[in-house]
Amino acid sequence: MIPLHAYLLLAAALFTLGVYGLLTRRNAVGILISVELMANAVNINLVAFSWAHGGTVGQVFALFAMAVTVAEVVVGLALVILLYRSRKDVLVDQARDLRH
Amino acid sequence: MIEQAIFAFVASCMLYSGLQVVHGRNLVHAVLWLGVTLSLTALLFLLLRAPFLAGIQILLYAGGVVTLMLFGIMLTHRHGGVHVENQQGRKLRGALAAGALFALMSGAICTTGALPHGGTAVVSAAEIGQAFLTDHLLAFEVLSLLLLAAMVGAIALARRSDYGEVVSGPAGRGVR
Amino acid sequence: MSAPTPFHWGLIALLFPLVAAALIGLVAPLRRAGMPAALVSIAAALTSLLASAVLLAGQIDDPSRAVVEVVGWLPVAGSTMAEVGLRLDGISLSMLLIVTVVATCVQVFSLGYMADEPPSAFGRYYGFHSLFIFSMNLLVLAPNLLQAFAGWELVGLTSYLLIGFYYRKPSAAKAAVKAFWVTKFGDMGLLLALVFLFAQTGAFSWDVTLSGGWAVVITALVFFAVVGKSAQFPLHVWLPNAMEGPTPVSALLHAATMVAAGVFLVVRLDPLFVQAPETQMAMAWIGAFTALFAAVIAVVQKDIKRVLAYSTCSQLGYMICALGAGSVMAAYFHLTTHAFFKALLFLGAGSVIHAVHSNNLADMGGLWRKMRLTAVTFIIGALALAGVPGLAGFFSKDLVLEAVHERGLWLPWLALLAAAFLTAFYMGRVVFLAFFGTPSKAAEHAHESGPTMALPLVVLAVGSVGAGYFGSSFAELYGASYSFHMGLSGIVATSLGLAGLGLAWLVYGRRSLPESSFAFLAPIGKLAESALLDRMYTFMFRRVLLVLAGLIGWLDRYVVDGLINVIGWAAIEGGRRLRRVQTGNVQDYTYAVVVGTILFVIWGLWP
Repeated sequence: MIPLHAYLLLAAALFTLGVYGLLTRRNAVGILISVELMANAVNINLVAFSWAHGGTVGQVFALFAMAVTVAEVVVGLALVILLYRSRKDVLVDQARDLRH
Repeated sequence: MIEQAIFAFVASCMLYSGLQVVHGRNLVHAVLWLGVTLSLTALLFLLLRAPFLAGIQILLYAGGVVTLMLFGIMLTHRHGGVHVENQQGRKLRGALAAGALFALMSGAICTTGALPHGGTAVVSAAEIGQAFLTDHLLAFEVLSLLLLAAMVGAIALARRSDYGEVVSGPAGRGVR
Repeated sequence: MSAPTPFHWGLIALLFPLVAAALIGLVAPLRRAGMPAALVSIAAALTSLLASAVLLAGQIDDPSRAVVEVVGWLPVAGSTMAEVGLRLDGISLSMLLIVTVVATCVQVFSLGYMADEPPSAFGRYYGFHSLFIFSMNLLVLAPNLLQAFAGWELVGLTSYLLIGFYYRKPSAAKAAVKAFWVTKFGDMGLLLALVFLFAQTGAFSWDVTLSGGWAVVITALVFFAVVGKSAQFPLHVWLPNAMEGPTPVSALLHAATMVAAGVFLVVRLDPLFVQAPETQMAMAWIGAFTALFAAVIAVVQKDIKRVLAYSTCSQLGYMICALGAGSVMAAYFHLTTHAFFKALLFLGAGSVIHAVHSNNLADMGGLWRKMRLTAVTFIIGALALAGVPGLAGFFSKDLVLEAVHERGLWLPWLALLAAAFLTAFYMGRVVFLAFFGTPSKAAEHAHESGPTMALPLVVLAVGSVGAGYFGSSFAELYGASYSFHMGLSGIVATSLGLAGLGLAWLVYGRRSLPESSFAFLAPIGKLAESALLDRMYTFMFRRVLLVLAGLIGWLDRYVVDGLINVIGWAAIEGGRRLRRVQTGNVQDYTYAVVVGTILFVIWGLWP
């Protein structure tokens, strides 16, 4: 049997990778991908706990999370496209109009 | 024993592909690596006795999201290449923050003693469907509303305005 | 309707002048019309006079009566801090009558004297006068020290307004400001006394017993204010300058009533002053010194009003000295008689000035033939002041000297005797220079003043002759006893006074002694005149007060404001630096979120 710790550690590592990408990517799509990675790590946790505790609640939660993530991706991509349309690039460090 | 071996293999593959996702220079490759990661996650779900979720994972993520991302890249990289550089200045502090976060989380996980242990019982699609339509019906309906809103929002945001000319100066403020 | 009580009469005496002042002050057409305003003011003064006469008559029937009607004022936590109202007793009512009589006389006199003024100025003048009567009555009828203080300050204000009545004349404006400042400087003493009194007793009433040295402290502070208001050395410097005001004003405020308010206040606060023999001693010495000092200056003055002004200082010195000797009766009696004859002298001087259009004694002379009535009344006033037997000043001055003598204050007594001699001399000098001898050019065209000016002179002359005979009635009002007797002081002072008059006749009347034989007095007088003191005050003001103020200003500007500025600067600078945090780069914000999360987790995991 695989201990729960292993799953949790793996999820933590994936989440950390996502955070790293979130902090370092300049490209808006890259950032979105990183967020996907983080969401995926969370899902692993949910399912792992569901497995450990038994029952369906964890999996249902994971399904909800997936749907929400997909919705987020859709809106996020729409924003990226909007950004591209207005600036002709999707580099977040160039889009600093909110400053001052 | 076999399970452990499979887990070890899957986990190492996931870590590698995850690294590629956030570290790769080619954005298209990164998205493809993301697809790999997500598919491997589906394998993990199988190990966790959640076959329905594994299927959904493949369908929704590997099939849907990755494709969507590719479209996104395609739509936003007409003029430049798909190569991206991570910012040098941010690499270090990003790594530092992420490392600290990982240290904290793994510390917390490892110092937690006995955790419950799952059995081999498989949760079937029927059970999940049952749960959806009974205990979590409200959430389910709200979720459908959320998806609708997201769809409408995405369309409203991303569609070209058909009226008025597109004004975009060098700084590019607004679409109208 | 029931018969009016003393309280009603008191209210009438107090409020009618206020109503008149308000009418004249607020109804501009009335004020600009001039004469109607004057009539309103005189009517109010007459009403006030009538009310006080009724009150005093009732008081004489029952000398020990004391009506006190008060209402609470300054509510604090369910109770009141102070009271306002009326206190009608022997002291306040007799003073009230003096004030209203002199004020009415002066107002009537002003009808003639100020007739050449434009109507609006005329109306303004009478508005101030009404305000003055109200203020003075407020002070006189005060049931406690707080209300007295309010009246005291209002009196100071009207004094300022009336001295500066010819405000287009720079010297008058300056004199008004000077009078205001000097008296205000003294008033700080009264204010402090109020604070201390309240701190000690929790009230503002004066018939209390104070423990420790507080009686001395409080009375000394009150006396400081009295020194300012009653023009005692060294704060007398404002009074000669105050002669810039119209002469009737000088008669009312700066001779008969306002300057006497200081004396009145001490009389009122007698229960406090008897607890402080040290203050009384200081009063005796300062009063005696002022009496002699001012008399010396008066001898060398060329301006008739300034002679009278210094004479006023001198006579107020008598009163203060008597108070110092512990004789309230003597001081108050002298205050009363002095009010009559000094007002008479000032009004007589006003009549003369009106006729010759000059204050200078050299422009007068030989007026006896031109202005018979003015001359007679003026001479009566002068003789009363000089202490000629039978006239008012004789009795009261005698009483003062007697009191000082009894107390064993030898040096002050001698100073007062010397001052009595000088008083007679300078009054003789004025009389001979103004009314006898060869007329100057200006005096040749002089003619007697009209009836409105003559009538008050006659009334006051009667008072100057008769007031002295009411000594025993006065004494009853204060619960003292008085019987005239000719003691050592009386004989010496009277002979000295007659000698002074005789000397004046020799020098200025018969001219058998050259004026130059008094040349030695000139430098003393010049030295004693206020120039030196003025210079000292100027020095104190410029070199000490202004430097101190500059220092405090500097502290305020650079230390206090500097502190505020540093705080403001720190906020601005901090904001400017912190603004860099807001890069606008979304990843920096994400970074902040991550770091914040880490910190939260650490915080949560911390044992």
